[in-house]
Amino acid sequence: MQETGEIMNFKKMSLALCAACLLSLTTVSAGAADLVVVGRDDVYGRALTEAVNGFVKLHPNTDIELLKLPNANLYQKLKLSLRESTGDYDLVMMDDTWAPEFMANGWLKPLPASMVDADMVQSTVDLGRYPDAKGALYALPMVGNVEMFAYRRDLLTKYKLQPPRSWDDVLKVAQTIHTADKTISGVVFRGAKGNPIVTGFLPILWAYGGDVFDKDGRVALDTPQARAALKTLLALKAYAPKDVDVYGAAEVRDALQKGVAAQSIEVWPAWVPTLDDAGVSQVVGQVALQAPPGQVSGPAPMLGIWQMGIPKDAPHAKLAQDFLAYLSTRETQTRLALIGLPPTRKSVFQDPELVRRFRWYPDQLKALEAGRPRPRVKNWSEVESILGDYLQLAMTDQMAPDAALKEAAQKIAKAQVK
Amino acid sequence: MNALRRHLPLFVLTSPALCVLAVLALYPIAQVLIDSFFQVDYAAHSRQFVGLTNYRTLLDDRVFAGSVFNTLHFSIVASLAEVGLGLGLALLFRRTFAGKRIALPLLILPMMLSTLVCSSIWRGWFNYSGFLNSLLASVNCAPVEWLSNPHMAMWSLILVDVWQWTPMAFLIILAGLQAIPEEILEAAHVDGASAWQRFWQITLPLISRQLMLALLLRSIDTFKLFDKVYALTGGGPGNATQTLSTYIYEQGFQFFNVGPASAASVFMLLIAGVLVALYVREVICKPAAQ
Repeated sequence: MQETGEIMNFKKMSLALCAACLLSLTTVSAGAADLVVVGRDDVYGRALTEAVNGFVKLHPNTDIELLKLPNANLYQKLKLSLRESTGDYDLVMMDDTWAPEFMANGWLKPLPASMVDADMVQSTVDLGRYPDAKGALYALPMVGNVEMFAYRRDLLTKYKLQPPRSWDDVLKVAQTIHTADKTISGVVFRGAKGNPIVTGFLPILWAYGGDVFDKDGRVALDTPQARAALKTLLALKAYAPKDVDVYGAAEVRDALQKGVAAQSIEVWPAWVPTLDDAGVSQVVGQVALQAPPGQVSGPAPMLGIWQMGIPKDAPHAKLAQDFLAYLSTRETQTRLALIGLPPTRKSVFQDPELVRRFRWYPDQLKALEAGRPRPRVKNWSEVESILGDYLQLAMTDQMAPDAALKEAAQKIAKAQVK
Repeated sequence: MNALRRHLPLFVLTSPALCVLAVLALYPIAQVLIDSFFQVDYAAHSRQFVGLTNYRTLLDDRVFAGSVFNTLHFSIVASLAEVGLGLGLALLFRRTFAGKRIALPLLILPMMLSTLVCSSIWRGWFNYSGFLNSLLASVNCAPVEWLSNPHMAMWSLILVDVWQWTPMAFLIILAGLQAIPEEILEAAHVDGASAWQRFWQITLPLISRQLMLALLLRSIDTFKLFDKVYALTGGGPGNATQTLSTYIYEQGFQFFNVGPASAASVFMLLIAGVLVALYVREVICKPAAQ
């Protein structure tokens, strides 16, 4: 009798084990998608979702897994996965400053030259080639982001001011408006440490004829041009919101849309699709976007495009290439532009329907075509972080501006020889 | 032989747990220790022995020194404040008062929230035109740059931590208070001891283990401060709120400087080890007071 009980128990245990194995197998097979795409969150993620839905409609039996990650997380995950050749992703979204590292390390698959055509904005396509603009193609541009400068037309008219053409003009506008109306910040920008503050500073640095590296690749921050640029940024801070040092994209957008800022040093078109939406913006039709002002040199709009490439270890490279081709079509880009994603095709920028909706598109296209990329170095993240730290030390009076630039230059030089 | 036979089942039963511990804890620690003596090119899969260079680099790095100072500053101030406030609240809640049943769950609510939720709430409050400055304005006080002023930012982080974790210290101390027999206090009262004397000479010595436990647990936790900095200040302004954890994260996961990040981790591990040793000695090994 006892033996029968033991046999029953054994049978029950075996059945439970089989069920567990079956369940595990089902889970594993359910998790294996035909295509794994990894990209950014926010508006980029919403656009990718729309693209995935469109592609699945055309290919009904395709199972696409879309991972939407914040900026810093995405870089880490990509670097770890690509370096270890895990084959986790079939198609990856990259900031243009990450691409030099990924391409130089041979982590991306070359793409056929036929994926590019004359309608794509040349400056954005060039950033997907390695080792230079004539090299092989490794990534296609997906988001035509370019840094723009914003100002309030109504306020400039009210105070009889002209749209700023130089950084001296920006300072004058900020000073005039803030002095006359203390509730309005003369200027607003992202002052948070790291990427935000550096992104605001670079167009000023370029306008003053400076750069992070000179033509020979040496650090060029301890220079009169860089010092003059930082002096301008610090002068502008006096007319910015009190806590601008912790401002990110959301705070800049809010300040503009609430009508409490007269100018913004940097606005990325992907941030402001709702600038003319009366439901959220109190300044409908009043904010003008233009290329950032010049100073010693002409305007230098900064490129901040997002690209898509196929990892060398992608398990479904063919399907990834098909999806990438679909993403790059005029029709798809037009649909994604309606969500707020800046396109990379000239024809989409010139689409009358879209221009009616996003009145800055003609200026944005001009800025994109004349755009300047950030330095193409493998460790830009580290360089940007070091520079961002020292800019903030100067901004918060923890360090004298000249000393901050000198020390930043030394530290970046050290990071470059590692 | 007998001892072996006696301990064999114990060893067999605990071996899976020991194996998991070895794989998940000891191996990474050993790897970090080894990496701290190497210059590692993460992308190129190459490594070169550099001896103590990574440690020397750390000692020369002003940001690292600042991170150590900030970590200790945060850990000491926040832990002491939380235990002090927790003690005050525990003494209050030991008594009976109207609304105690409602106040108690409300008091421990912040501890139940995730740190990111807490940080998100406080980020709104810390805004220059946010709740806290509106509150200050209502009593004619000047607004404060809670997060953008380098001299204020660390105190703001401490404030958030105290808000979130004082309830934990409070619960530990309250448990200790409730374990004190009423007769002892009554006897002291009958003998003419004042309220202060009863607190200082009876209550405090009897809850010293709970105070020590709360202090050590909070010290260990605050020493690892990462998420609040990540969510509220990013280590800024400048490096005013950079801590050891965020420094290691930046070096290791943003710049992939594996060698210096490992050396900093070893340094952090040593300090944490001292705290843990204290915790073990004071709380686990010491016999309970009779």
